[in-house]
Amino acid sequence: MKLNPLTQKKIKRFRSIKRGYYSFLIIMAMILLSFGAELLVSNRALIVHYQGQYYFPTYGYQIAGKIFGLDYDYETDYRQLKIKFEKENSTNWVLLSPIPYNAFENDLKEDDFPPFPPSWADHHYLGTDTVGRDIVARLVYGFRIAILFSLVLLLVNYCVGVAIGSAMGFFGGRFDLFFQRIIEIWSNVPFLYIIIIISSIVVPSFFMLIIIMAFFGWIGMTWTMRTITYKERERDYVLAARVLGAGSFRIIFRHIIPNTIAVIVTFAPFAVSGGIVALTSLDYLGFGLPPPTPSWGELLQQGWANLDAWWIGGSVIGAMTLTLMTVTFTGEAIREAFDPKLHTTYE
Amino acid sequence: MAFFGKAVSCLKAFVILVLLIFMVSCGKEQEETKVETDEITKEVTEDKSEIKIDKIILPQDLKWLANDSDPVFAAPDAEKGGIFHNAVLSFPLTFRVVGPDSNSSFRSAILGNHLSLTGIHPNTLNIIPELATQWAYGKDKKTMYFKLNPKARWSDGVPVTADDFAFTLEFMRSRHIVAPWYNDYYTKEIEKVVVYDDQTLAVVSTKAQPDLHLKLGISPTPRHFYKTLDKDFVKKYNWKIVPNTGAYQISDFKKGKHVIFKRKKNWWAKDLRFFKNRFNVDTVKFSVVRDHNLLWEYFKKGRVDVFSVVMPKFWHVRTKTPVVENGYVHKIWFFNDTQQSAMGLWLNQDREIFKDLNVRYAFAHAMNIRKVIEQVLRNDYFRLEHGFVGYGPYSNTAIRARRFDLERVDHYMRASGWLRGPDGIWQKNGHRFSVEVSYSQDAHTPRLVVLKEEAKKAGIELRLQRLDPAAAYKKVIEKKHDVAWMGWSTSLRPQYWEHFHSVNAHKPQTNNITNTDDPDMDHLIEAFRDSLDEKERIELSLKIQEKIHAIGCFVPTFMVPYTREAYWRWWKLPKVPGTRHSGSLFSSFDSTTGGLFWYDKQLHEETKKAMKQKKKFSPVTIIDETFKGQGS
Repeated sequence: MKLNPLTQKKIKRFRSIKRGYYSFLIIMAMILLSFGAELLVSNRALIVHYQGQYYFPTYGYQIAGKIFGLDYDYETDYRQLKIKFEKENSTNWVLLSPIPYNAFENDLKEDDFPPFPPSWADHHYLGTDTVGRDIVARLVYGFRIAILFSLVLLLVNYCVGVAIGSAMGFFGGRFDLFFQRIIEIWSNVPFLYIIIIISSIVVPSFFMLIIIMAFFGWIGMTWTMRTITYKERERDYVLAARVLGAGSFRIIFRHIIPNTIAVIVTFAPFAVSGGIVALTSLDYLGFGLPPPTPSWGELLQQGWANLDAWWIGGSVIGAMTLTLMTVTFTGEAIREAFDPKLHTTYE
Repeated sequence: MAFFGKAVSCLKAFVILVLLIFMVSCGKEQEETKVETDEITKEVTEDKSEIKIDKIILPQDLKWLANDSDPVFAAPDAEKGGIFHNAVLSFPLTFRVVGPDSNSSFRSAILGNHLSLTGIHPNTLNIIPELATQWAYGKDKKTMYFKLNPKARWSDGVPVTADDFAFTLEFMRSRHIVAPWYNDYYTKEIEKVVVYDDQTLAVVSTKAQPDLHLKLGISPTPRHFYKTLDKDFVKKYNWKIVPNTGAYQISDFKKGKHVIFKRKKNWWAKDLRFFKNRFNVDTVKFSVVRDHNLLWEYFKKGRVDVFSVVMPKFWHVRTKTPVVENGYVHKIWFFNDTQQSAMGLWLNQDREIFKDLNVRYAFAHAMNIRKVIEQVLRNDYFRLEHGFVGYGPYSNTAIRARRFDLERVDHYMRASGWLRGPDGIWQKNGHRFSVEVSYSQDAHTPRLVVLKEEAKKAGIELRLQRLDPAAAYKKVIEKKHDVAWMGWSTSLRPQYWEHFHSVNAHKPQTNNITNTDDPDMDHLIEAFRDSLDEKERIELSLKIQEKIHAIGCFVPTFMVPYTREAYWRWWKLPKVPGTRHSGSLFSSFDSTTGGLFWYDKQLHEETKKAMKQKKKFSPVTIIDETFKGQGS
């Protein structure tokens, strides 16, 4: 694929902004790793070698304990299986994930009560939360949900916001006036309260929460898109397209929007961090995704309620700082790289 | 938990009030005394006063009862004196006990000092005298007769007369008090008060019913103080100190800061059998401390004398603090034996999956309550065996809740033709055993996530659904739940009709949230409701509880049959520190269970000196099991 020289130039400029570029690499690595989280953080073993046969329990259905010669029907406890095999000193072996816990199981002890502090021996590298769940596992799966949430939210918000914003700018006149008033009214609705009210009546699922948030989230983009479209529609290429007989729909989507991509891209990273913060704060207040969904907000709440268990609050604040910082630095670098003043000349 | 708490606040208030004043009763033998009634009737008939009051004649064949033989529960060595520092989280909005804003927790402090005609012995549950010395039951099974104690005085010195009880009815029925619930109750439940003379009266219920004394032992209202009521009542009496009959009266208060109660030096009842050696502290001061954590700091500084440490976090963690470890503050864990809330998982039998008895049993066997108690609740909670524990003889002690047992789950599920699916969850005809558990308290999430993980082992998926309390209440009361995680508030006697009669099944806004619809159950419940015979009622009650267990629509979870307190070491408690029905050991006024503790001046001086010299005592933790598990 050959990129347009202007884009190449932007990418080159982006890569030259070291802070932003490395932040971008870090956040991308985090996202990619989180998609393969089952291989890194899971109570299911990566490989089990039992009686000459190999098992890969990570994905797919659960394997009952009976298959491995244990006496129960429910899912195998691979940590115990590993200990058992090692004791038996047989040819059977188990390869566990680096962090052998999932985000839901309660690793409780007989003589002590959670939260347990970080422990290398137990493989709880950041300790456990108040019900004995591994914090690393909660953080990783919580991150995956948060980042997916904000990316999908971004997509929905942008689709609606950009379409309506450009239409307002392009058609102008009464259509514009009408939507301006609608948006003004809309933006005065206290949306956080509405979300709280809605989610106290029905327990929101992942997609429902996105729909609720998108219901109010599309507004932000419209004002910018409207202004840019106003400017763009007066440009010669739009006139040329019109002379060639292109319809409004085609002009907006094929000509105007590609020319405003710089603005859209610039806003995206900030919208992503906004999405993460929104989900986390809703979870913190207890109005987000239902328990026991792994969530940073819930961890933050636990950290606040158990200040003496410093590892809970510490890890989630650390993780949030890292994520939000990398996203913001990436955003800044993109904004700078896409700065139209460097690439475009106006007549 | 208690979505039920959303019910009319008045009703709740009354239940609490009734609970506080009467607790439960069981009809053990009363000391029977025959008293010549001729004299009394003669007096009335001979009264030839000009004002024509209806000449009502006291029935002659009454069997007068009294109680001066039940064991006393106060400490004989209790001493009088001292100031008891207590705290409230907010200043009461009014000192009235009826009308707008009167339903605050402070109300119990005021009502504790208003005695009734009769009370309930907190250990034997027999009737004991308060303002009345003797009582008798009418033949119509809806009237009770009382003879007042001639010594009974209001705090302003005016004698308590039978007319003050008649005024209670007038007062409670008045529009001016703006208390519709009381207006209604005292009209529909209590028919009238009949005054025979200053010391003799009868209270009549509108209908015949068992446990009449719980309803008819009303308290007096001082007519000489209120005179006539008018529409200014609510405003006029907000901060008026109403004469009372109890051991203390408010002597001073500063709005928003504190309320001080002083002990009456010559209280008329101080030498009565069941009041002797009680209510020992001279002054009780309630200060406003608006935050629970702050209150703990106040307590550690000795500015508050007691602190309730029922919560595991306080009992196990927070009390590991110098004042406790140096022995200046003692800890006590006191087991009581009172009605337990029916807390647990309520299965909606209108849901297809729970129509199958085997599935209900399997569900019960899949709940690992023990693990939650042992590893989340620090072994501080106890397994509730069924929904009606702690109701004395009305509780069936033979029932045991179904325990976590994977083999039984297997057995029941296979019996109904279910098989384990590839994800380990039971399946039948394309349906998975996956149910929604609705609950409302965030603090319960740790318990539920452990249950969820354990249920997975048994092949049952629980989908947790935490709702805002109002939304959860609505969902459950409209029977839209699969499984409701909640508890009910308790009452004097087990309530079956509301929860298990088919009349209340399959329709919204009733308390039969399991949609139990069983003809045998209906017969039992109807017989229980219609019976006026205590023995029969008890028998039926036990049978109904067995039936509930057999239906398996309720999985009982936890109970907390105790109270725990931390207190400074100069406060002394009787040898048996509380009573069977004590909710708190340091309740200052409660006429049934309160006022048992006292102040030891010498110990106070000694402790102050020791603290100054940094001298330590050995730490003290008392665990009293006198009443542990007796009725449960």
